[in-house]
Amino acid sequence: MTSEDTGRQPRSGTTATRAVVLAVAVVAVLLLGAAVGLLIKLPGSDSAGTPGKDSVDIGFAQDMAVHHLQGITMANTARDKSTNPAIRQLAFDIESTQLEQVGRMKGWLTLWGAPEQSTDGTHMKWMTSSSHDHSSSSDAGRAGLMPGMATSEELAKLRSLSGTDLDVYFLQLMLRHHQGGAPMAEYAARHAGVPVVRTLADNMLKSQSSEGQYMKQLITERGAAPLP
Amino acid sequence: MTSGKKTKATRSSVAAARSSVVANKPKPWGTIVAVIAVLALAVTVFGYAYSQISDKNQREAALAKWNPSEENKDPSDQIQGVVKKEYKAGKHVQPTQRVGYDQSPPFGGPHDGAWANCTGIAYPKAVRTENMVHSLEHGAVWIAYNPDQISGEPLDKLTKKAEGQQYTMISPYPGLDKPISLQAWGHQLKVENADDERIDQFIQSLRRNQYTYPEIGAACDSTTFDVDNPPPFVTDAPGADAVPMDGGVEDQAETGGTPPATDAAPPVTQPSS
Repeated sequence: MTSEDTGRQPRSGTTATRAVVLAVAVVAVLLLGAAVGLLIKLPGSDSAGTPGKDSVDIGFAQDMAVHHLQGITMANTARDKSTNPAIRQLAFDIESTQLEQVGRMKGWLTLWGAPEQSTDGTHMKWMTSSSHDHSSSSDAGRAGLMPGMATSEELAKLRSLSGTDLDVYFLQLMLRHHQGGAPMAEYAARHAGVPVVRTLADNMLKSQSSEGQYMKQLITERGAAPLP
Repeated sequence: MTSGKKTKATRSSVAAARSSVVANKPKPWGTIVAVIAVLALAVTVFGYAYSQISDKNQREAALAKWNPSEENKDPSDQIQGVVKKEYKAGKHVQPTQRVGYDQSPPFGGPHDGAWANCTGIAYPKAVRTENMVHSLEHGAVWIAYNPDQISGEPLDKLTKKAEGQQYTMISPYPGLDKPISLQAWGHQLKVENADDERIDQFIQSLRRNQYTYPEIGAACDSTTFDVDNPPPFVTDAPGADAVPMDGGVEDQAETGGTPPATDAAPPVTQPSS
């Protein structure tokens, strides 16, 4: 700069000064902008990443909520109609726990601005490897129903039964329901992006598998066997 | 301001003359002052923001210390004296059975199918342990106290921490080796008095901590447990026919119904519950 100043003549001196002043002004404005920006950001409104529309997180929350709600329906039937204390208690446990979990998942969906259930009526698209490796044969005939879900006829049959028949059929349907939901939970526990989603999915997997063991035992005690 | 104006005027009027001789002539004081003013403003704003943020961070850090999060899954690790053990969840026994627990009071292991109501209940009398343990599995904190050592004001203080507080329950525990013992699933802390600050820290760290209890979302309301007339605590040690710590319905299913070795022993007379 100094060399330029001396080298060139009168005007360049002014230009150089102007350039410096301008540069300083620009820096000052930028600084001011940064300061203002800082003030605006103060409240700490950091919106933690919202999962994308096709994310595992949203897909899992939507599908597992639907899956859970049918479990709640079956548990409600058993709790209303069974006369066995152990069954009624198990039914209440399943109903209250799953309803609470549905509340969590729907709360997330609301915050993420996502619909409560998949809009095109398909399920489990978010599981890229899908469940082909698992129980594809038994799921094939179940149009629109996720693995483990009971059909309308099965639900009607459950409502029509009473006594030990009701208890056994409830246990059988619920065991299959738990087992059917497991691959979804397993997939989400591994691939969901939001930690709290992975935590819940992993917890479902563990608690439902031990609950499944318990139901197997209750089925055996009643001289029956799990559904094929 | 005036100086700035003046300089500007001077500058423009002398523009021509300046060019030739004035290499190190009057500095642009106005500009310098303006720049300093802007810098001072920026420093003030940055300084204010910094103090706000650091204050906020400090407050949040203080709160976060006992608040479970992805970064701090088990805040009770920072509490001195907490005992931790891993237990397998979901193993049930019958209302007539007892469990040979490995701890007193226990904080995990097989339990009765009916969980004790833990919707913020102060149990005036000691409750059957097998029911209380199940509530821990649902995310509750159980405050147990030795009725011979805790009463009056300390008991009032403890009761306030449980009564009306969801997922919390308090009950006397006869024969407790310390005045107070707090239980959460897989966690225990024994303390000497009700003023111990670790009591609140334990509750904040572990009550419904999604990373430490086995059944996220499970209820404290209980339809099969009579909260007004709960099954009573049994003082005598469990007999030889008690369900072992690795027992419970689920294990029997896994071993194909082979009876545990203890079942072969002659039944010891057990106090009827």
